[in-house]
Amino acid sequence: MAFHKGQKVEVFQRSQDEAWEAYMDELIGRHGIITDPDTVINDPESLVEVSINGKGTFRLPQDCLRVLS
Amino acid sequence: MAENTCPVYEARIRLKEALDAGEFKTPKGHRLAEEVHDLLFDISWGRAGSEHLPAIEHLLMEWTSLADPPSQQMARFIRTTIDADRETFQSHIDTHNCATGACVKLAPAPCQMTCPAGLDIPTYVTLIGMGRDAEAIDVIRKDCPFPWVCGLVCTRPCEFMCVRGRMDEPVSIKFLKAFAAERSMSTRLYRNPEKEPDKGQKVCIVGAGPAGLSCAYYLALKGYGVTVIEALPMAGGMIMVGIPRYRLPREVIDREVAMLEDLGVAFRFDTAFGKDVTLEGLKAEGFEAFFFAIGAHRSYKLNIPGETDYPQVIEAVSFLKDVALGRRHRPGRRVVIVGGGNVAIDAARTSLRLGAEEVVMAYRRTRAEMPADVEEVEQAEEEGVEISFLTIPAQVIGRDGRVTALRCIRAEMKEPEGGKRKVPVPIEGSDFDIETDAVISAIGQQVDHGCLAELIGLKWTRRNTIETNTVSMETAIPGIFAAGDAVSGPATVIEAIGGGKRAALAIDRYLSGIPQPRSRPVPVRRGRMPFLEVPATTKMILKRAAMPVLNIDRRRTTFQQVELGFTENMVREEARRCLRCDVCIRCGKCVDICRNKMGIDALSMGYIDFDRPTPTDYRITAERCILCGACAANCPTGAMHIEDRGDERVLSLCGTLLNRQKLLFCQECHAVLGTARYLEFIRKQTASAPSAIGAPLLCVACQRKRHAGIHDETTPV
Repeated sequence: MAFHKGQKVEVFQRSQDEAWEAYMDELIGRHGIITDPDTVINDPESLVEVSINGKGTFRLPQDCLRVLS
Repeated sequence: MAENTCPVYEARIRLKEALDAGEFKTPKGHRLAEEVHDLLFDISWGRAGSEHLPAIEHLLMEWTSLADPPSQQMARFIRTTIDADRETFQSHIDTHNCATGACVKLAPAPCQMTCPAGLDIPTYVTLIGMGRDAEAIDVIRKDCPFPWVCGLVCTRPCEFMCVRGRMDEPVSIKFLKAFAAERSMSTRLYRNPEKEPDKGQKVCIVGAGPAGLSCAYYLALKGYGVTVIEALPMAGGMIMVGIPRYRLPREVIDREVAMLEDLGVAFRFDTAFGKDVTLEGLKAEGFEAFFFAIGAHRSYKLNIPGETDYPQVIEAVSFLKDVALGRRHRPGRRVVIVGGGNVAIDAARTSLRLGAEEVVMAYRRTRAEMPADVEEVEQAEEEGVEISFLTIPAQVIGRDGRVTALRCIRAEMKEPEGGKRKVPVPIEGSDFDIETDAVISAIGQQVDHGCLAELIGLKWTRRNTIETNTVSMETAIPGIFAAGDAVSGPATVIEAIGGGKRAALAIDRYLSGIPQPRSRPVPVRRGRMPFLEVPATTKMILKRAAMPVLNIDRRRTTFQQVELGFTENMVREEARRCLRCDVCIRCGKCVDICRNKMGIDALSMGYIDFDRPTPTDYRITAERCILCGACAANCPTGAMHIEDRGDERVLSLCGTLLNRQKLLFCQECHAVLGTARYLEFIRKQTASAPSAIGAPLLCVACQRKRHAGIHDETTPV
């Protein structure tokens, strides 16, 4: 599992995943907190729940996220 | 439109700038501009009603017809902006929230924005702080039908985003909600919102889990006839059969579901879609829209030798369901659970309560990677569950048809070549056996979509979930909507509730012939509560309350609720920790002015920065502040407030009393002069104001009078 609950992350790019929807483009560049990591089978493909500051909570593909140091 | 700009704000500011610059030369053009600006200002300030947009549009028509090019240009610009973003203008009026925060008075609190169901947390926390628990539940139930369930099992994303968490620890929002719900139910003040008149249209919901029930609740409130089809003999879905009773008593679910029945929601239990009823049959009954919330109940297989050879190898979801339905048999004297998530923890703690003597969780990664809630893991370990980390199951060993051991391999976390994330890699020759009588697999669930085979045209994602538009929850089949775990994969209760709520709004639009929204609904501000007054020291020293728990022996032997709930005093104190971020937008203007303009630096509010918060200490203000009021005068939302109370001047931030000092009065006319510190500050700046020490304290008018008298006596006419 790359992401842990409570980690600060950035939506740094558009995901190529089918779960990415057009309205999610406005999340790019925003910071947030992982609130529910990939609990299924530690699968890098699974969606993670992220609360984006000022935007709301979303299930996003992992390839659009990076951990903030 | 650029990122994070609000069309309401943009239109208002552009019009204001044009007005200030005197661009509208004709008197009528100027008057119309002012009227349109006032109406836009109302929208951006949360004071608008249903007549505002039509009134603006009427004025724009008149304005466009004027023979004044700047007027025509501006009217056209505002007209175009409204046409392009009508949804946002209407949302400002309906929700009293501006999602971008550009309309500062309507900037929503981070906790509310984070909640997948959009609960107005600052409002209900303040009500709880005031002891108005039933009203708090009324507020919550406008956005979530299950405050009590959520108060016990929510994964609380709001608390992760809580600004208080940048100071010390987040407000215990979840447990406050549980207390208020319990108290409200106990005092018989837990009630349903008022229903809209009957619409004469029927909607069928398949699945009585949190998503299905949430959708049913909102549709029933809107006046639809709602029937819920459920394969199990009771309502609740995963919250009933997936969450053990020591975390969520059945009575809590039953009482909250009963409130839906009071609204007229009908249930058909023991009825499986695709088996007992079909889509065509339901359409023939008159249902005009369908909502599928069938959950994710099928477990992943371990895919190891021996898994299918012994009846003692069971799936956690089935095990928990059997226990919830009353089949409480000990799975074995020794039990191994495979997995590290919340379901694994639930299975382990349930096994203990059924009498298992040794319970071991085999998890292939380390504690840091465990997806289960930290509190749940701690409680499991306290109860005696052992966790074997870096342990990969390899084979189920048995004899005479019974499991005797789980063969495992030790792992180490390694970063694969070119890989970004460490993965557990088996260590050769490290095989070992964990002796056991039963193996429970809890490595995740997926959607069991066999029952939906007749829905020709339904699209599935590559994750084996129903493909929907996550704004409207529409599937590929018109009139069929879906949400919950069947769409998201195994997720949280509050996400399912939020999904069900969005689907209900979309179904209402679908049946009313209204186009679906382009973006997710903005959460609704349910009130603007007065502040709870708390001294700065108290605000700082109030620490997050610790939840009292059941004694360990009962936890190991019974299904009694482990978390005993807060006491009333704990609840009222905890509510006072809230920073009221629905009013303070953390813009930092107060800090900037105090530090950089006044040169005083009396505000220590390190929580303002989301990414790099620094320490906060409200107590510093009392040491340094001169009570000049510059911070309050420049606060855009009224969060920072200064007032004179009797012989004191008081500065507060959202009710937190930052500073209070004695006022000094003019010795002649008794006009307020300010505080001693303030006068000293002015004296140093100007060297003309009277010092607080020694000289008589006079206001400017009385000083002038006195000096005039002296001149009159000493200067010859």
